[in-house]
Amino acid sequence: MAVEVDGGLVGGDENYKQLFRRLSLGNESRKSPTTLPWDRFQNWLHCVCVVTFDLELGQAMEMIYPSHVKLTEKEKTSICYLSFPDSNSGCMGDTQFHFRIRQCPGRKSLGPAMNDYNRDCPTALQSDPGYYYGFVYFRQTKDKTIRRGYFQKSVVLISKLPFFILFNYLVGVIAPEYFTNGEPSLEAACHDIDQWPPPVPGETLNLPFMGTVVQIRVPSRTDKLIGNSQATPKSPLIPANNILPTLHEVDLFSVFQPVLPHIQMLWELVLTGEPLVVMASLPTVCTSTVQALVSIIWPLKYSMDYRPYFTIHDSEFSEYTTKTQAPPSVILGVTNPFFAKMLQHWPHVIRIGEMMQGSSKSMSRLKKGGNLKTLHSKPGVYTRYKPYLNKDKSILKKLVKGVQAKRPVEVQTAMLRRYLLELTQSFMIPLERYVASLMPLQRNICPHKGAPCLRPFDIDQFLKTVDQSGPQLTSGLKGDWVGLYRRFFTSANFDSWLRSRQLEVNQKLQALHLEALCQTDLLSWIRDKEEVEIVDLILRLREKLSLAQNNEIPVSRDTIKELQRHLEMIIVSLPEDLQSVLRK
Amino acid sequence: MKLNFDPRVKDACAQNKTGTVGLKVCKAVLVGDVAVGKSCLINRFCHSVFDMDYKATIGVDFEVEKFSVLSVPFNLQIWDTAGQERFKCIAASYYRGSNVVIVVFDLSDIDSMSHTPQWKEDACKCASDPHIFLVGTKKDLVSDAAFADIEFEAMKLANEINAEFWAVSSKTGENVREFFFRLVSLTFDKAILNELETRKSPVAQIGSNLISEWLCL
Repeated sequence: MAVEVDGGLVGGDENYKQLFRRLSLGNESRKSPTTLPWDRFQNWLHCVCVVTFDLELGQAMEMIYPSHVKLTEKEKTSICYLSFPDSNSGCMGDTQFHFRIRQCPGRKSLGPAMNDYNRDCPTALQSDPGYYYGFVYFRQTKDKTIRRGYFQKSVVLISKLPFFILFNYLVGVIAPEYFTNGEPSLEAACHDIDQWPPPVPGETLNLPFMGTVVQIRVPSRTDKLIGNSQATPKSPLIPANNILPTLHEVDLFSVFQPVLPHIQMLWELVLTGEPLVVMASLPTVCTSTVQALVSIIWPLKYSMDYRPYFTIHDSEFSEYTTKTQAPPSVILGVTNPFFAKMLQHWPHVIRIGEMMQGSSKSMSRLKKGGNLKTLHSKPGVYTRYKPYLNKDKSILKKLVKGVQAKRPVEVQTAMLRRYLLELTQSFMIPLERYVASLMPLQRNICPHKGAPCLRPFDIDQFLKTVDQSGPQLTSGLKGDWVGLYRRFFTSANFDSWLRSRQLEVNQKLQALHLEALCQTDLLSWIRDKEEVEIVDLILRLREKLSLAQNNEIPVSRDTIKELQRHLEMIIVSLPEDLQSVLRK
Repeated sequence: MKLNFDPRVKDACAQNKTGTVGLKVCKAVLVGDVAVGKSCLINRFCHSVFDMDYKATIGVDFEVEKFSVLSVPFNLQIWDTAGQERFKCIAASYYRGSNVVIVVFDLSDIDSMSHTPQWKEDACKCASDPHIFLVGTKKDLVSDAAFADIEFEAMKLANEINAEFWAVSSKTGENVREFFFRLVSLTFDKAILNELETRKSPVAQIGSNLISEWLCL
């Protein structure tokens, strides 16, 4: 540490040395020599698009930045249509919303940084290889100099990461700058993003952006879910001008206020993957409602398709609106009144009024009616669904009290989020516990046999455990939990949860097995074995090593090295002719 | 020219009463004509390298340097802007809130010096009462005799725009560290004085818990 002397502001080198200590900042903004331009950019964004309204062509792609980025014609068309408000609802001035589209197949896989991210981030925030998100900033103003009389343009950020809050913030800064100053602002903004470190779960990052430093924390799978217990950041914190408290969390309370009494039913509908459509008059309202619905079962990942903003031009329009089949298990957000008729056959419709405030009058309607139900325009949830669980009035009472006491929205949202999280956890804990019971015992991991696997999930066996150690242990809610589980088992949410658990557990078992192999004296074991058996062992070891080297088995480098050493010793112990065959 | 840290600053540092200065942003922007050597100056200081090849800056580059001044941690954000005309339109958002403006010119190119008042003007519009430095680069390229003339002109100019003049060479490293240390010292001195000033009015700090949590890195 520096020694303090009577410090002056000028002086010889010695004086400075005593006054100063320059501290290294780690790799904060250092580029490794192998980093190419746009490598870092791709960790965050795919590209930025500018979409304009052309009198002859309609919506048209004016620019894609950086220009080398590839989008297929189909993707471009989708982006163009989805970047403008669908219905002529006015939307004068500036409007922000986001959409989600399918990526055309045949694209190269995610880069290494993204694979690492996906392994360590909460599953619900994984970057999805099959989809793109588009974050739109749309401006419509009167402009006499344009033939149509209006300036209509959108700036759209295309990304694979579901960081709604971050990207909405970014596009909110970039777009106005672009509308005033043109292309150099996109160039500069993208260049800033190209200096960002990759999104590493659990880390606090300082992101230089348009003259300020935006500080974010990337959520990690190991974050505690309840309580504000974020671990101390590893990288040194530097002061930031802008701290974004969250990358992805929607303001649940404001969004759900119009349909608050049905929150628990909505939770069931989303959990069990029921087809849901949100009808709103403004794209912003519509996208945030869909996003809030998807996050209602956090930390569980909503595994079906969802479209925060869906229009009649969408390439999946006919697939999703067909009347010849049952409605698909998706959540759609729409603003075009045309959908009210088009989706009449959908079992559950949420109507959100013009404004988000939602007067107390509109708060508690549950609509049941004939076929014309969705043409009804009052806000509410339109469904014939009968919830499995009894209604929990206490949370509603708390929130209503909060409204009366003018409690800040952030606090209301935190309460609601916590309530939903506890509900989801009460539902999931018995499942987690049951899966844990399917683990083979440590003593069954034998180096001379194959690695054991997780035993299969048996629904009936699980349901037998519910009576004794079901959700009633952590939740006071009464109702037909078993019925809800049965329904959940038919949904893709269950499949994807189980698959990710199986993958995790089997990788863990592989790792334990590999470590057991390392600790075994394989040389003495092969002493009395036939050559065939030894060759078989060698092949199995090689397969394991290649899996471990591709990071598919979570073991340390040392274990891998140790195993390589074992392998080499076994090969050397074989006759020479066999050695040469094995080394080929 | 201010030669010493303010005694109040030294007191505060010695008694660990510098408050949240270490957590504050000190923002410096570099401005000046194309190819006068803004990025080279940063690279010399931040990475101790010098590259003969010219690579135009796109938009703005960003660096953070951490220091310990009088044992108090202090951070300097450096925003290295592009000198190209086409990026001038977006510059305002990058200048916003700067505490230090570094106007750079090429000692071997008299035109670049004549443009410095305009650069200073533009940058200071969006800055918050900044320290201004006028820095002449490429000192290794000019003869001693020529330098004497330029220095005279530059000092005069610096006086007019209320700046402190420095002549440096990023190639040889001459005066680069000295310049940045002077810059950091002055900014630090001012930041602490400001902090002491505002602390006189006792206002309960919102979120001070949060901040103190952060302090225990």
